[in-house]
Amino acid sequence: MGMKQTLDVINAMEADGAIGRYAIAGAVAAYNYVAPTVTEDLDILVSFENLAGTSRSGLITLAPVLAWLKRKGYEEFRKEGVVIAGWAVQFLPVADDLDAEALASAEQVDIRMGGDTVTTRVLRPEHLVAVALRVGRTKDFVRIAQFIEEKAVDIAALCAVLDRHKLRPPWSAFCVRTGIVDPCSLDQ
Amino acid sequence: MTMKKTPPYPDISDILARKTEGRRELARRSFGEKIAAMETLRERLAPLKRAREERQARKAPGKS
Repeated sequence: MGMKQTLDVINAMEADGAIGRYAIAGAVAAYNYVAPTVTEDLDILVSFENLAGTSRSGLITLAPVLAWLKRKGYEEFRKEGVVIAGWAVQFLPVADDLDAEALASAEQVDIRMGGDTVTTRVLRPEHLVAVALRVGRTKDFVRIAQFIEEKAVDIAALCAVLDRHKLRPPWSAFCVRTGIVDPCSLDQ
Repeated sequence: MTMKKTPPYPDISDILARKTEGRRELARRSFGEKIAAMETLRERLAPLKRAREERQARKAPGKS
């Protein structure tokens, strides 16, 4: 059991049409760019656009996803996630324009684990930072600081994302709180 | 006359420097290596997590 099997299952869901395009988000996505921190969850940002069975009312339901997983024998829940090969997977539907942009520009990566390789997508660092800022818990702020300190984010691209999604006010507040010189204000 | 600057006692700057280098080394690893390392760490931390959950369950309202 492990991440390779978890991602194999999620790739099979996409291939079967149980979910649309997806990308790894959250703490595990951050592993692609900065020093890792222990997490219990695998966050999957997922699109349900253009899928058969999607509600016409615009309401998104995870019922078809959970039904697909149940058919494959995955029905244990841990916290808010479905346990797939040891990882509690949380499917996060695209909720706004920032999510949609993040998912559209997610990068494809081949992850080598042991002797195997699995192909998946991961959100880009600028979107991980912007989403963390939007969520705004203490641990999200710690992650943002980590991206900045480890120079793991393209500052110009980040500032553009923040501007496009009207996140400059919380970003300025974050910089003040953490004592970081606002890199977005330096290029003006 | 100038005061001689003495390092704060105890001087742990070398320990902090090694920790920083360790974090940098970890950050430089591949995505797959980081995932494998965190999966191993999760397994090692599992007994501590279980113990914490048991403590919290004992403290939960309705439990004496």
